Amino acid sequence: MNRSEEIAHVCESILANITADFVGLALQNREGPDVRWHYAAGNSNEKYKRISVRYGKGIAGKVISTGSPITINNFPEDIQGKPLEYPIMLAEKLLYAYAVPIHYKGAPKGVILVGSRTNDPITDSEQKMIKQAASTMEGMLDSLF
Amino acid sequence: METQPLKNNISSYIIQSQEDEIKRIALELHEGVGQTLYSLFTGLKFIETTVEQEALKGYVSDMGELLEKTIQEIRLLAVELHPPTLTTLGLLPAVKSYLKLYTSTYGIEVDIDITGEEVCLNQSERITLFRVCQEALANIARYADIVRAVMSFSWKENDLTIMIKDNGKGFDIEKGWEKSTGLAAMRERMLFIGGDCQLSSKVGEGTVVRLSLPLNDTTDKK
Repeated sequence: MNRSEEIAHVCESILANITADFVGLALQNREGPDVRWHYAAGNSNEKYKRISVRYGKGIAGKVISTGSPITINNFPEDIQGKPLEYPIMLAEKLLYAYAVPIHYKGAPKGVILVGSRTNDPITDSEQKMIKQAASTMEGMLDSLF
Repeated sequence: METQPLKNNISSYIIQSQEDEIKRIALELHEGVGQTLYSLFTGLKFIETTVEQEALKGYVSDMGELLEKTIQEIRLLAVELHPPTLTTLGLLPAVKSYLKLYTSTYGIEVDIDITGEEVCLNQSERITLFRVCQEALANIARYADIVRAVMSFSWKENDLTIMIKDNGKGFDIEKGWEKSTGLAAMRERMLFIGGDCQLSSKVGEGTVVRLSLPLNDTTDKK
């Protein structure tokens, strides 16, 4: 199994083990500040492959710029800003999302996002599992940077 | 009592003022704040070459990187607010440029079909058509649930027709006009430049937005 397949496998295994509909991995581009979605499991279309957000924009850009997890509940009602500022939520018709940073050489460079098309948040233990998966992925990013 | 023309004049004035203000802010960001930050950036780069302490050098370098990101952010924000191509190159180049940004933001591909020769429109026609197209595309990103849409420009001697089609979810037209201020604003904006905005949609089959604008000799080539 090569690195890409391993990462895809981690995404799929997160999806299989928690009550969510979508799992995505976004990484900051090697050159430039933009952030792109590289892997997804449970995706309803291929739009994620074309979506690229700027550093600090969208959920992925915000998680990377702040280095902190972000939770979106009841999209698009209870959000800061406009729904159009959340492209992955629109593309995958998600109502709930929990996104955590993946660090590379000490700096946040990636994001794992777990989303649901119903408005059901994931549990605390599931959040811990996602954070654990993010730590596991930190060692896998060498080949992607 | 002529209340309707007065109301139209006020709405027209508000839209025009808003556009002027957006343009002013975009220009100020690009030419003012952006340029000042660039001067700071070059100054910081110079300081970096003179600093000998490694730790301080790294700190100055990090500040430079952050400043560079901020400058890029300011430039992109200015372009998003008011694309300079709209003034310099016209409607079609501005729309094509926006479609690239649209696809990379929402993942939705838009095929564009152009017939006829582009006519030079006046500034208020250009900005209005651009904003209405942006609104129609934003509605597709938000509601249509599709991966591909089609946009067509038909330039004729006496009129321009723009169609924006998707085969997405569609919606009830009557309710749409009642509930959505965005749709009403599209129509209103078109009416102010002497054009029209027609909408057709069917649940489960998709939506077509048809914008038409008569082209005549009074077009102000500003």
